[in-house]
Amino acid sequence: MILEATNLTKTYKSGKAVDAISLKLKIGLIYGVLGRNGAGKTTLFKILCNLVTADHGSLKIHSTKLKPIGAIIENPGLYTYLNAYENLKVFAEIQNAPRDKTRLEQYLKTVGLPLDRKDAVRHFSMGMKQRLAIAIALLNDPEIVILDEPFSGLDPMGVSDLIRLIKSLAAKNKSVLISSHMLAELQNCCDYLYVIDRGKLVNQGETTRLFNHSISRYKIKGNGVEQVKNKLFKIIFAEKNSIDIECKATEISKILENLIQQGYQLTACIPQVTLKELLSLQPNDV
Amino acid sequence: MMYRILKVELFKLFREAKTWYAIVAVLIIEFIIFFAAYYQGKTILELLLDNLRQSFYFEGNLLNGNLLLYIVLNSLWFNLPLILMIVSSALITEEYKTGTLKTLMLQAVSKKKLIIAKYISSLIFTIFILCLLMLTSFLLAYGIFGDGDLVVYLGTLNFFPAEDAFSRILLAFISGTLSMIFFTSVSITLGIILKEPTKTWIASALFLILSSLFIKADFGRFGDYFFPKLTNSWQCFFAYDLDILSILQENILLLAYTILFAVVGIYKFNKTDIG
Repeated sequence: MILEATNLTKTYKSGKAVDAISLKLKIGLIYGVLGRNGAGKTTLFKILCNLVTADHGSLKIHSTKLKPIGAIIENPGLYTYLNAYENLKVFAEIQNAPRDKTRLEQYLKTVGLPLDRKDAVRHFSMGMKQRLAIAIALLNDPEIVILDEPFSGLDPMGVSDLIRLIKSLAAKNKSVLISSHMLAELQNCCDYLYVIDRGKLVNQGETTRLFNHSISRYKIKGNGVEQVKNKLFKIIFAEKNSIDIECKATEISKILENLIQQGYQLTACIPQVTLKELLSLQPNDV
Repeated sequence: MMYRILKVELFKLFREAKTWYAIVAVLIIEFIIFFAAYYQGKTILELLLDNLRQSFYFEGNLLNGNLLLYIVLNSLWFNLPLILMIVSSALITEEYKTGTLKTLMLQAVSKKKLIIAKYISSLIFTIFILCLLMLTSFLLAYGIFGDGDLVVYLGTLNFFPAEDAFSRILLAFISGTLSMIFFTSVSITLGIILKEPTKTWIASALFLILSSLFIKADFGRFGDYFFPKLTNSWQCFFAYDLDILSILQENILLLAYTILFAVVGIYKFNKTDIG
């Protein structure tokens, strides 16, 4: 265990932002914190990164490194009048991290930034800024990487590139903790999920198990499938060559088998999970 | 560690466009003073001294380099401290605004060392600006207007021979530098408290205006120890009877106020959550 947070609580004038949240991180795994906007994800991350002091609770980081956590909280804070290399150099110098040209260029390569961009960072796209911020977070080789809403403002290509980068960090024996309200992205890259709502931890578990227990709707695609008539499942929406059905996860294989037997040529079966379903899922269900 | 943080702070300061705008603004004000003096100075001085000419005989040119330097020194009342306060407070408020302070605090950097480095950077910048102002104004003043006796109005008209005037102006610049350092220290502390650039600029301008108003106010014996009066110590070098000891005491007290404001800022920054 590299990080152990127990009963972290933070109260502002507006109310409790984080309410007795406990979490543990292991090396080499990707953790996700899922919750609506304003659920307390950012405050939790600020406490973990020591930007904000918790009112109660304890935080233990089992590391001997000078900088155990590298993080991006909210928007990437960069010196927009400097170029990417200068930004890296400034942040490396200030903490006496290795900052020879080859090393800094290696960081830029790792996050997929071009070495020939010499213009100021203010001209960069959101995705490029996000990458540079990750490179800065990686300075001094931290064991934990915390990314707050890293997918916000990225196009689909940027999202898939970032997921690839996050997975490569975990493969390099780093513990990665990311927050998002975007289910598909978290499902795609996280090993373990913490679900929080109104500052409280409402659910946690391995991503696959958590999602499987939450699924009650599927989108089935196939030629003429909207004309199907049966009593096995409830159709909640139908359009040409596509139906949304409601059923238990344990019943889906039987339903698909039945549809094929009826002669439908199925092309896709996509589980539909909403954040609401994940939030309302009882911990005992998992 | 401290040296590295300071080096980075100075690098950022001189890479920011607003720093160079501030330097240009200071030089523009200085050139306008010289320009106006060159074309209209003689007429204005004739008007001011018209009555005195009926009782006294003036020898030499009173519109000289020393008078011009004294006029430049008067920018220490408001223009220069305001510009310096805007640049210095931005050292912290811009970092709050752009989120770079958060990024800095996510690195292996001591909070206390970072904020001390910001106060020291502002001190270095202030000394740099005052040296630049002093050097350029000395060159222009003596180069264009030449040497001569200095006439200053401080309740009464005080006349100083050229050689005495030079040393008084030089000492006034040094004392004025300390006043400027005081104002920049206050502006960083205000920036730490208010966090937002515009609010800090308004608060800094208000502080400066109130300080200027309080210079004229009578606070009895307390007034001698109140910082607005102390920021005006450089003017005492143009009193006919020079009381060096009293000026030195005032400057030491102003230095203590400067450190006090900085300590309050450092304490507040350390205690405040980032973000």
